[in-house]
Amino acid sequence: MTARKLTGPALTALALAALCAGCGSTAAASQPRRSATAPALAMSLADAEATSQAAWAVLPMGSTSGPNQFWQLFLDAGRGWRLDTPPDIATNGAVELAGLSGASLTTGVRPSLYLTYSPVSSTADGKNWTAGPPAAGLADVPDALAATAGGRLLALSTKGDVSSAGVTAPSWRPLISARELGAGAGRSCKLIAITAVAYSPAGDPVAGASCRSDGVAGVFEQTSIGWRAAGPALPAALAGDETRVLRLVTTSAGMTALIQAGTGPSASLLAAWRPPGGAWTVSAPLTLGTAVVRTSSFGAAGSAAVVLSGQRAETISGPGATWHGTPTLPAGRNLVIALPAGEPVTALAAGAGTVTIWRLTGGGQWALSQKINVPIQYGSSG
Amino acid sequence: MPGMNSGLNISDPTVVAAFKHAVLHQGLWVLAIFAVLAGAWVAIREFWPAARIAVPTPPVPEMPARRLLRIGFGLLWIVDGLLQAQPGMAVGLPSQVIKPAAESSPAWVQHLVNWAGTSWSYHPVQAAAAAVWIQVGIGLWLLLATHGRLSRLAGVAGLGWGLVVWVFGESFGGIFAPGLSWLTGAPGAAACYAVAGLLIALPARIWRDARTGSLMVRCFGVFLVAMAVLQAWPGRGFWQGDLHGQPGSLAETVQSMAAMSQPSGTADLVTGFASLVRAHGFAVNLVAVGVIAGTGLALASGRRQLCRYALYALVMFGIADWVLVQDLGILGGLGTDPNSMPPMLLLASAAVMATAPAAVTATVPAKTAGETDEPAASEATAAAPVAAGAIPAAPAAGPRRTRLARVSWAFATARLATVTAVGAIAVIALGAIPMAAAQSGRTASSILAQAIDGNTAPLNSPAPAFSLTDQHGQRVALSSLRGKAVLLTFLDPVCVTDCPLIAQEFREAGELLGSQARRVELVAVNVNPLYHDISYLQAFDREQQLTGLRNWLYLTGTAAQLEPVWKNYGIASETLPAGAMLGHSDTAFVIAPNGRLVRELDFDPGPGTTATISSFATELTQAAEQALGQS
Repeated sequence: MTARKLTGPALTALALAALCAGCGSTAAASQPRRSATAPALAMSLADAEATSQAAWAVLPMGSTSGPNQFWQLFLDAGRGWRLDTPPDIATNGAVELAGLSGASLTTGVRPSLYLTYSPVSSTADGKNWTAGPPAAGLADVPDALAATAGGRLLALSTKGDVSSAGVTAPSWRPLISARELGAGAGRSCKLIAITAVAYSPAGDPVAGASCRSDGVAGVFEQTSIGWRAAGPALPAALAGDETRVLRLVTTSAGMTALIQAGTGPSASLLAAWRPPGGAWTVSAPLTLGTAVVRTSSFGAAGSAAVVLSGQRAETISGPGATWHGTPTLPAGRNLVIALPAGEPVTALAAGAGTVTIWRLTGGGQWALSQKINVPIQYGSSG
Repeated sequence: MPGMNSGLNISDPTVVAAFKHAVLHQGLWVLAIFAVLAGAWVAIREFWPAARIAVPTPPVPEMPARRLLRIGFGLLWIVDGLLQAQPGMAVGLPSQVIKPAAESSPAWVQHLVNWAGTSWSYHPVQAAAAAVWIQVGIGLWLLLATHGRLSRLAGVAGLGWGLVVWVFGESFGGIFAPGLSWLTGAPGAAACYAVAGLLIALPARIWRDARTGSLMVRCFGVFLVAMAVLQAWPGRGFWQGDLHGQPGSLAETVQSMAAMSQPSGTADLVTGFASLVRAHGFAVNLVAVGVIAGTGLALASGRRQLCRYALYALVMFGIADWVLVQDLGILGGLGTDPNSMPPMLLLASAAVMATAPAAVTATVPAKTAGETDEPAASEATAAAPVAAGAIPAAPAAGPRRTRLARVSWAFATARLATVTAVGAIAVIALGAIPMAAAQSGRTASSILAQAIDGNTAPLNSPAPAFSLTDQHGQRVALSSLRGKAVLLTFLDPVCVTDCPLIAQEFREAGELLGSQARRVELVAVNVNPLYHDISYLQAFDREQQLTGLRNWLYLTGTAAQLEPVWKNYGIASETLPAGAMLGHSDTAFVIAPNGRLVRELDFDPGPGTTATISSFATELTQAAEQALGQS
């Protein structure tokens, strides 16, 4: 065999192989481009909120995801916690809390599997439920549904649009889209997306948003003359940072917001309060560093808490207060801090089929106070 | 890959029984075809004694290399056809064979393959039976048609079906996916079948050309060298037996082969080899690259003696690879062929054989005017009777001879092998025609619905009356629907799984009914005691795109109004705890135009694939048509 005889076939073979190797290789990952949508967060929809009469907590249980993950609602109306998940509906897509008032509550169920819209239901006593008007699929944020004590509803959809439903006309009508808000009141903050909805104490629709920032958090309020920026000014050190309103709730003490400023290791968390008719008060920033906000919760009078990665939590008692770390949280697949009125800080730790409830003692220890077995109906959703 | 499978167990007894029945039934037809052909051939020769003594034009002796390909691939096609008759094929081929083969391929390949897999899933019994008979038919055709145009057409059939299998069944043999390796089957067994078909389809004069063998063997050599380069390419994981505790590419493939259901003997052998690869991955790949590259270069040189030695080495190495890496290919209950190595070695052997001097060319008769390149092609039509003039039974020659007479005479004077080759073509048609007929419709076979929920229960009683409110707020009484067939079901508007699927089945049935839809009413009764406001029915209708369906009624009422309806139709509704959806029966009723309940359909929609949804829609449509027929 001569070298000349081999050269042609060998080159052909090499070309063929290179072609095949090229075809069979995965393309090198392209450089990530800055997304035009809101920055992704690891925050769960697990939530706890309270009034002066009752506290509710929502946690995912069952499987860690998919059709066998069922979100459960727990109620503490002063006689210990009990399971109070809304009946006759699969809660695979999470339960949103809204309209807390006394012992009444409105819930919305997020879309899951083949359910693309969000059923809404209300209870005045935690036992008897009535259906509200079905909303478009609720967005994947904790405050995608808001309600007034009178029954008016506000919903943020998966498309990023806000709709409202009245009491006398219980059908939904569009209120504003992210595009419209971004072109109007949100222009100055370079609005990215709407991230939360609430009713102000006066009953006006309010939207929280993520912004590329002009030093003011993205909170917008609908007034008689249209939408206007109503967000709290942030400390000067955070003025250039991207901000995101993580939570926006209304309690008897007014509005409370949780705001993340910055991203990555420089991210920090702020709480902000606005009493009825008053101005915003902003807390000192809590530097998150590499920590991630897992869940968040609110008490009746402006207190707030966040569970962070690393099995730790921070609480803040209200305007003018500072963040306080809790002892290492009890073990649990999903954790949320509840702040029931007149009771110690409470941690709910959910496993697949059991929730353990821990109270923070005066000695700074978590003490197990209750255990609830939840009869998960595996296989009932596919 | 949506719709790629029916979601059923591959051993589903309903489908397996139907598949066995279909194969057996068509098998009887195969026997009948051959019996009729043989009987007709004998009878016609009795009728025309001259045909018995007619001497066909002697065919050109077939080149040994072509004969090897024809017989070898004929047998392989028959083996493949028999493998297609394994019970799990009907349900399992799309989900267990086609889908995994495509998973690592680019999206456009997956899209193409998904289309084919979905088509199969719509008619699993017809598709699987068709695959059996098409492949057995091609195999028989190749074996029986030894020369001439009929034989070349067999090659074309092999080429065509081989390409179909290669594209849709093997996702182009994985050539667009990472991890391509000659050892594990690249570029796909079916590609070898297609190449063999192409070679068999070549005219005899090309086979007689001395350059053909040289070209074949050189091309094969170049291909092997390319495969060797690919095997040696850095970064593809073949040099590492073990990488950070994980098996390398080759070890992983061998391990997955060993994990397959198979006799303990082969399992032990493959498992042992997997351990060897993990421990000495570099050495194993070095040997593989050396043998593939060495034999490839030797074949590419075109030197006969060297090629012969290379072939010996390649056959030995190939057999070892077939046993230790490809695990014979046919095990596990869903093996569709003996993998790439047997056909690959057949091609290599034929290529080397084709380089031998064509001794037979000396016996080729000189062409006469008008003779085709294929002397044997004229065998069936131009066989001249000996002393034709002396036997009056022979048809008259010349233009006045009728077409029927010419065909009859050709048939009578044909060799038995040619007649049976024609029978083999009929076998292919036997498999292909029912499949083509099934695919011409856009609905899935109702066998899937029957497999999920069993057969339906006939009823004969007056349908319990009710009067409820429809999705538009209008009062509707069942009695007002008298004169129409009613398909009745019970749906929860906030359900996340079954009810949306059932609604899709009803919607599709409404479309399938076509002009009959005006005589059929599709009715659902709300089964949720909490979410019973018509706004929920409307939301559900929008979600399931039912708003445009003119004969669709979704009825509701208060819990007090609904409960008697559920009770009268035996619908159990239960509020389950802990975030579960409302538990209720999945049932559909068929009410005849005279108001009588004629059938109850168990209507658990199963996995909800596109195939099963279509299958239930077919079942509903058939039930409605039957109810209309009973009026």
